[in-house]
Amino acid sequence: MKASMYLWWARFYSKGKVWILLSPALILVVFLFLGGLGFGIAESLNYMPIIGLNDPNFDAYRAIFSDKGFYKSLLLTLHVAITPTLLSVACALAFGLVLRQSFRGKKVFTFLFSFNLPIPHVVGAIGILFLFSQSGFFARIGHALGWMDMPAEFPIIVNDPWAIGIIIEYVWKETPFIGVIVLAILQSIGEDYEAVAQTLGANRWQRFRYVLLPLVLPGVLIVSVAVMAFFFGDFVIPAILGQTYPAVLAVEAVKDYTHYDLRNHPIGVAQALVIAAIGTVLVFLYMWLNRKFVRSDG
Amino acid sequence: MTHLVLNELSQTYSNTDKPALDRLNLDIKSGMLNALLGPSGCGKTTAMKMIAGILTPTSGDILFDGKSVLAIPAERRGAVMVFQNYLLFPYMSVGENVGFGLKMARMNKATIEKKVLEMLELVQLPGVQNRKPSQLSGGQQQRIALARALIVEPKVLLLDEPLSNLDAHLRDEMRELIRDIQRKMGITTVFVTHDQEEAVMLADKIALIFEGVLQQYDEPDVFYNQPGSLRAAKFFGGVNFLDGEYAANQMTTELGTFSAPRSSLDTGPGVLSIRPEDIEFGTTNDGDNTISARVNSHVYVGTYTKYKIDVNDFRFEVIAEANTKESFPDGSNVTIRFPADKIWILPKG
Ligand SMILES: Nc1ncnc2c1ncn2[C@@H]1O[C@H](COP(=O)(O)OP(=O)(O)O)[C@@H](O)[C@H]1O
Ligand SMILES: [Mg+2]
Repeated sequence: MKASMYLWWARFYSKGKVWILLSPALILVVFLFLGGLGFGIAESLNYMPIIGLNDPNFDAYRAIFSDKGFYKSLLLTLHVAITPTLLSVACALAFGLVLRQSFRGKKVFTFLFSFNLPIPHVVGAIGILFLFSQSGFFARIGHALGWMDMPAEFPIIVNDPWAIGIIIEYVWKETPFIGVIVLAILQSIGEDYEAVAQTLGANRWQRFRYVLLPLVLPGVLIVSVAVMAFFFGDFVIPAILGQTYPAVLAVEAVKDYTHYDLRNHPIGVAQALVIAAIGTVLVFLYMWLNRKFVRSDG
Repeated sequence: MTHLVLNELSQTYSNTDKPALDRLNLDIKSGMLNALLGPSGCGKTTAMKMIAGILTPTSGDILFDGKSVLAIPAERRGAVMVFQNYLLFPYMSVGENVGFGLKMARMNKATIEKKVLEMLELVQLPGVQNRKPSQLSGGQQQRIALARALIVEPKVLLLDEPLSNLDAHLRDEMRELIRDIQRKMGITTVFVTHDQEEAVMLADKIALIFEGVLQQYDEPDVFYNQPGSLRAAKFFGGVNFLDGEYAANQMTTELGTFSAPRSSLDTGPGVLSIRPEDIEFGTTNDGDNTISARVNSHVYVGTYTKYKIDVNDFRFEVIAEANTKESFPDGSNVTIRFPADKIWILPKG
């Protein structure tokens, strides 16, 4: 009896070892994440027995999807997620191609390029506010130089409808991040593939299009998904640099959640869950596209 | 059909003072296959890259049919390089890899497909066009790399160590395939290798390079019969050397004087060399070029026996074909003879 218990324990231990080792982390994940998610879902369904709400319903979701403002927010959020991702990837590729070559002052240039990596997003946002707002540095300089009668004539690129301020901040911050990865990929590829292509008659553009891009893109796609998912769910930068209405989904969700009227609470939570769901769908869509087109591209 | 000439071709990489390749002169007649032979790091790949146009020479010239091609960029030069590690594009099918050069030339799809099939036939890999390179063995990938180069009908074909990553039996097959195709298509070819046997079996002429400097540029048999230097002789498997003083067709050494009419020098200090298979040995001491010796050890290698023979403090290697010479036990006293017409006198040093 005792021996068999022992055996059972040994078998469990050897098979379940990983689980045992992971258990502290798992408990944390289960309680904080899944627990939070569960409470969130319950709240979004107006199900909160503690305060006497015992009949779950879809009122909050109905309210969201019947609100025109939600769709405006959604479009804006997609724009704020996708546009800077594409721009950052394009800039990162361009910088990567330049920085790969050897030239005088390359070290200094590389340093300047990756200089803002450790600077937090918030600091970048405040910097942009300082530089580009209508009462900002450039507006004042322009006024002082007589280009404008009033600083307020400076084009609206902060808190603007096209989210230019947000996009500038995102591209400024993420270009070096993606760029560093592009450089690492370029280094691992080396130059011989392009040399082969060149001796086979490929001109500069063809070498970029048919050799470099297909070699670099799969790796870049993976980071850009992560970056885009962050843009999609970010609250801080749109709160500082975005316009008030319509705002991105995250900002709208927080507005509702912190509204003095507690009835908006479930709507805020439901919105956050919708953001998470759309984000997840985007990531899967991206991965599918990646597998379908990039990996097997000719 | 292109006549390729390298004229004092040199390369000094920017981070060094010593040239990686120092004033290389070659003259490869149209349709010939020449080998660049030398140990790793002697500048072979550097030379190939300059011919291909993907590396600019520090000085010197490259001529195709008498005209300098230095001003012509690699993509229009017509010298295609096949790299040692194949470098097939991993994201393309095998067929797309082979057709790459024609696609770059904007040839129409149907023509490309037809030519791709022809090329796969030529390299004896029909039917693999839809596979991915990763699904092929190393030897097959090498053939695809070759097909990808041949499809554009290059003026000059540059093969950088195409056999060195292959197993022994694949190497023989691939070597014959290269030789056959090269003869059939008559493409002027430069073949890089660090293996002298490979060079001998394939090349019309061999350029032996040490540390960026051309040592000797000759037909293969010359490297065996009349190597230009002690180093060249050693690189081609020479093992028997004896210092001495040469004068009037006579080599005077510590082991006696040998008659030696064949020499790379007229007179002065030199090195007597003789190949292991050219040394005769037996028991009769019949005079000219013969010395007494003692068998140190021997190994039987199937078709021949390899002896180590001592003469005083000197040791010689002798190869005796198994069935033509009687065998001698270790420790037995023998005589060895250096036939005068087999001795080759090298310059000293
Ligand atoms: N890009 C480079 N920069 C600096 N030195 C190089 C470069 N490529 C090769 N070398 C040096 O040049 C010499 C010849 O190299 P290589 O042509 O590759 O020799 P091989 O092909 O005969 O092995 C070596 O000493 C090598 O280290
Ligand atoms: Mg090499």
